[in-house]
Amino acid sequence: MVALARKTLVYEWRRFLPAIVAVGFSGLLQLLQAALVLGIFGSAAVYITGSSGDLWAGYPGTQSVNLGRSIDAGVEMRLRMDPDVTAVEPFHWVDADWRGPSDTGGVSVFVSGINARPDGLMFAHALPLSLRARLNEPDAVIVDRADLENLGVGVGDTAVINGHRVRVVGVSSGLRALGGVNVVASLATAATLDTDPSNANRMTYFVAKLRDPALATDVAARLRGDRAFGSYDVWTARDFARRSQLYWILDTGAGAGVLFLAGIVFLVGAVITSQTLIAAVIGSVREYATLNALGVGVGALRKVVMEQAFWVGALGLIGSSVLGAIALAIARARNVPVSLGPWTTAVCLLLCMSLAIVSGLAAMRSLHRADPATLLR
Amino acid sequence: MSQPMSSLASSPAPSISLQARNISKSFSTGPIHNTVLHDLTLDIRAGELTLISGPSGCGKSTLLAILSGLQRADSGEVVALGEDLGKLNQRALERFRLLHTGFVFQGFNLFPALNALEQVELPLSYLGLTPGEARRRAQASLEEVGLGPRMGLRPSELSGGEKQRVAIARALAKDPGLLFADEPTSALDAANGQIIIDILHRIARGHGTTVLCVSHDPRLVGHADRVLAMEDGRILSDRVPTPASAPT
Repeated sequence: MVALARKTLVYEWRRFLPAIVAVGFSGLLQLLQAALVLGIFGSAAVYITGSSGDLWAGYPGTQSVNLGRSIDAGVEMRLRMDPDVTAVEPFHWVDADWRGPSDTGGVSVFVSGINARPDGLMFAHALPLSLRARLNEPDAVIVDRADLENLGVGVGDTAVINGHRVRVVGVSSGLRALGGVNVVASLATAATLDTDPSNANRMTYFVAKLRDPALATDVAARLRGDRAFGSYDVWTARDFARRSQLYWILDTGAGAGVLFLAGIVFLVGAVITSQTLIAAVIGSVREYATLNALGVGVGALRKVVMEQAFWVGALGLIGSSVLGAIALAIARARNVPVSLGPWTTAVCLLLCMSLAIVSGLAAMRSLHRADPATLLR
Repeated sequence: MSQPMSSLASSPAPSISLQARNISKSFSTGPIHNTVLHDLTLDIRAGELTLISGPSGCGKSTLLAILSGLQRADSGEVVALGEDLGKLNQRALERFRLLHTGFVFQGFNLFPALNALEQVELPLSYLGLTPGEARRRAQASLEEVGLGPRMGLRPSELSGGEKQRVAIARALAKDPGLLFADEPTSALDAANGQIIIDILHRIARGHGTTVLCVSHDPRLVGHADRVLAMEDGRILSDRVPTPASAPT
């Protein structure tokens, strides 16, 4: 079989280049957009993904980790009673007001009160041990490197949170918050910063470690709904993280924005690609008509056009993968929050391939001009 | 009319392979109704090069399109190799063309990306031949038109005459019973035109193929076994050119 589609693509590459570039850039835009959105909104769940806890217990119906309300402190006992639970620790969330030493006005901060011991679960992945140990000093807090300017402080400076004096003992990285600034403190310090009297003897979350993380779904199911300890619910870390991210993506309208942009990118890409492929078909229409005169069926000719569309898509995808990998590497090097999983990548690339296929179908329609009778003039 | 008996005597009892019976064809463009073929009947014999000549617009290309199954007549019937083309549907007609007909057009219509060998192999691969057999037949066909040494070249590296010879090889490689040529020499100079018409003539004689050529090129008249002169959708004369002007 003579590889007509591929040979034409190679020989007349200039003609097909716009289509390949269109598919490639559509793919690149989809990939970067997805990576940015997932990266930015992924930080909504940094409290969960940066920690090593397998289960989270919190107020029923909590839609995002930053919206937690306090639950009865006795829930900790309920969790500890389960034979599969190996460790439980509280996580104290305080919405607070920050006043720095320099003139920055009030800044809304989220104080995370965590167990500062070396084997603590909270922020086990996000805070190095040496930094963690410094939280044991009284009134010590850690802020993210990226927030220093907003807070108007440097390491060693003091500031005031909810009327209490605190001291910045270190800076973390990768703990940026959405809609505010993260401040990490020990449980004891956080308790002094919590000015709400109704929170006495209550805790925002309890985080549990399991003997076998694979059991998380089963253990969560049997722990939830015990009315003896007031209202609380138990989620796996994975579910809770996903719920928090989805809440932000949907609540801010970013999800709709992404879909809208994806649609525009798809449309523009499809228009350019289909026009290029149509031009390629029309450019060879006399040759196709000759083949048809010689008895090569229209179906076989359509296959040639679709094969060309497929190769245009494949080359475009290779281009967008390479450029996307480079762009993501640059973004990571510059602390831009980007995150891209294999599934998202696959969906983006699949979208581009379907763009090429749709364009191929459009180009196939112009094959009706390949009527051999028109050659006899 | 010159003596048809002499041509019959010189060739071994040619059989009729292509028949048209009372075919008419007209086109309408808006209110204008234009009849191109008027109730036309003719028989074409195998093993002969038949030339249909006439001024442009006389309907000769439409006649070729109908006889070759590329277009349907408004009325009348076409029987090619014993098959009534009017009774075949689109797919069956394509199948018939694939198995039995070859075409050579005025424009060579070669794919710029393929070399001569691939141009000829391409339609063969749809015949269901093995790649080895397709290649062998393509090579033999190119050898026959004298392009053996140049079969690795692309159209951009071939002269006009060579391109038309590739187109002939492409039609010939299928070993068709019917070979249709539409103005095959119009785009070529005298020497190349001569080569092309000689090849077509040789194919008719050597393979027993029915070669039907449409042309207004007067240089071809002397090389045909039979010349049909057409004007205004009718055949005016049907003659055998004098042997003195025919090539050997």
